[in-house]
Amino acid sequence: MCNSVLFVVCVELLRFILTRSHSRGPFSLPLFTQRVALYQGPNTSTAKIRLRTRLVVTLLFGGGLLGTWWYVRNEKQQNHRMQRIEQLKKVALGQGDFSLLDHRGHRRTKRDFLGSWVLLYFGFTHCPDICPDELDKISAVVSALDKDRSLPAVQPLFVTVDPERDDVAALERYVKEFHPRLIGLTGTPEEVKVAGKDYRVYASPGPKDEDGDYIVDHTILIYLVNPDGLFLDYYNRMKDDVQIAESVRNHMKSYVKLSE
Amino acid sequence: MSAPDSNQRKACWGTRDELWKCLDYNQDNATSCEKFQKEFEASCPAQWVKYFTKRRDFLKYKEKMQTEGFEPAAGPKASQS
Repeated sequence: MCNSVLFVVCVELLRFILTRSHSRGPFSLPLFTQRVALYQGPNTSTAKIRLRTRLVVTLLFGGGLLGTWWYVRNEKQQNHRMQRIEQLKKVALGQGDFSLLDHRGHRRTKRDFLGSWVLLYFGFTHCPDICPDELDKISAVVSALDKDRSLPAVQPLFVTVDPERDDVAALERYVKEFHPRLIGLTGTPEEVKVAGKDYRVYASPGPKDEDGDYIVDHTILIYLVNPDGLFLDYYNRMKDDVQIAESVRNHMKSYVKLSE
Repeated sequence: MSAPDSNQRKACWGTRDELWKCLDYNQDNATSCEKFQKEFEASCPAQWVKYFTKRRDFLKYKEKMQTEGFEPAAGPKASQS
């Protein structure tokens, strides 16, 4: 709405300045009226000068307006972003520690990932469609961010909510079909529960069928964690890879600024 | 029973999409799409068949709500005082 109001103001101003007749009106600016009084008569070169002057003034004024609007908009967006970060910090997810096995059988704790930006996703390998979709999305985000050499490498993590079936071997088979840097994490049901609780992840295995197969209902969110291990943002199914990459990029840029 | 790999997933999704296309074309008449139903059940784990069937029901319901509107169920009557 602000934009259209500003646009209308600019257009009206432009119209006013360019179409002002030579007679003095109640809304004439003193500068123009003076010039008009001094240069009476059908003199074409002075008419051109008048027009050029008006154009220049209009452009400068319009430029100034546009510049101010742009600046104010950027400030507002930056404020929005900082506010959101503050709110999410208050939520304080991911404050605890976790100790899990990666898909190669090595023990990993949260400490191992400090110093990297992390995109974290909880899921399970028997997931019909959502987890592969989300992991494909994360892979796309990481690949897009990798292209920008000025940004640090992002570490994608996949933590299982189905430790009964998703052992190290199962994870190994699963993660290799996504981004090469994706690390799968599993452990005992207790260890996995601790990790999930830290991010308030809801996970509920459904009823088993005669094959013993079941679907785990779970929170579908991608969490962004900064190099200090602080939870900064989350992305749901509605966000596509381009939007997520943009958001991560913005977080990385603000992070650098704060630590300077 | 290990989880389906990427190729198996894609095969399952393919037969599911074929089935759904057939159902859309035949106004959800299941008997016209028996062939696709069998293919779908053959390429997907039983749990996934159940899941996708439920999903389709949900999507149809959502579509109905969005096009036809929604009648809220009558709640408890407000007190007179």
